[in-house]
Amino acid sequence: MRPTLGRLWWPGRRRRPRVPAALFAHADRLRRQGRYAEAGRLVAAGLTGDPDNLTGHLLAAYLHLAARTIEPARAEFRWVLARQAGHPRALLGLARLALEDGDLDACRAALAQALQHHPEFPEAEALLGAIGNRHPLSAVSASPRLERLRLPPLARALLVLAADGSLLTARPSESKGDGDHLARALSLAGATLRRAGWGAPRRALIEDGEETYFVRGDATLTLALALPRTTQIAQGVLEVNRLWAAAQHALAVRVEAPAPASPPAERPRRVS
Amino acid sequence: MSRLRLGLEMDGTSRGRQVHDIVKGLAHLPATRGALIVAPDGFVIAAEVPGGVAVEPLAALAATLGRDLEVGATRLGRGAFQTAVFSADDGTLFLAASPIGFVVALTDPQASLQLVRGALAEAVTLIDAAWARATSGS
Repeated sequence: MRPTLGRLWWPGRRRRPRVPAALFAHADRLRRQGRYAEAGRLVAAGLTGDPDNLTGHLLAAYLHLAARTIEPARAEFRWVLARQAGHPRALLGLARLALEDGDLDACRAALAQALQHHPEFPEAEALLGAIGNRHPLSAVSASPRLERLRLPPLARALLVLAADGSLLTARPSESKGDGDHLARALSLAGATLRRAGWGAPRRALIEDGEETYFVRGDATLTLALALPRTTQIAQGVLEVNRLWAAAQHALAVRVEAPAPASPPAERPRRVS
Repeated sequence: MSRLRLGLEMDGTSRGRQVHDIVKGLAHLPATRGALIVAPDGFVIAAEVPGGVAVEPLAALAATLGRDLEVGATRLGRGAFQTAVFSADDGTLFLAASPIGFVVALTDPQASLQLVRGALAEAVTLIDAAWARATSGS
């Protein structure tokens, strides 16, 4: 009954098998609306008809990224590059995956290659600018006084980072891994804020399923305190401000400690 | 509540329009300069940003930052990344994870943290609801 009804309503319309190019074009439109599952079905159908289609494999890579399935995405980007060395979008995709893996050298190399083939590539330029910024070496060094800062009872971790991202203290010491992660996130956030026309991040809140990192920083120092997710923001900010003042004091005491005793300077003699 | 119901009733085409409405709603909050939704690969799904801000590079960096926070939270075994706020002296960036990518808001320093965080959470709920329904219905 239904096919008859369909013919009644759309008498001139017959379903024809769509060519892969049309399927990919439609999939791309859906992807641009965030409709990844529907786009994925069309890409799969298109690749069945044309398994060596570059656009199809690139779309497949994007859709894998959207689904956070990283290894298939990487394989698709590599497939594209094997057919067209220097494909800028595939290189950008691999650069971003390298960054996620913490492989900055591979990330830089892929971005540089993309820009070599396509010098006008704003996304690659922005990313290269973000990871290429080397922070000046810090003038602040670790102080044992930082180890004695009093933490709130519910705190899971305290991290103090120098301007170059190096760790001045991590309490407990098992939270050292958080330090690298935090330094990189703050560096990327700084680049994103600059792109929006603003300055460096001074405060941050980073929330995941279990806890919130309350962060405060300036040009020389960053302090991050991990508290349970249920902590009121005002309370977390108060705690991080208290620790910030204490850390500043601890480091100032160290910097301003009296210099080692030196022999008294000779008094100038009066010349008569 | 009515907006949430609206989200649940979305069909595929409306979902495309919905993300634009969500971005528009965020961008028009008090003291807010712009908003965007970016795919995890950095593609701009919808954006309303002030003139003079190049949207593609901003989206590429926001998506990279979002993915970095997601990957970091997962590697450190602390559950999924949810939201982040980064404040400079002259502006604040809000970022939240959603099923289709990252929802971003750019605000003045005096914007209400509570208001923008609430609006961002509502945006993510709307996207979650509409996309979950689409997935289960497909």
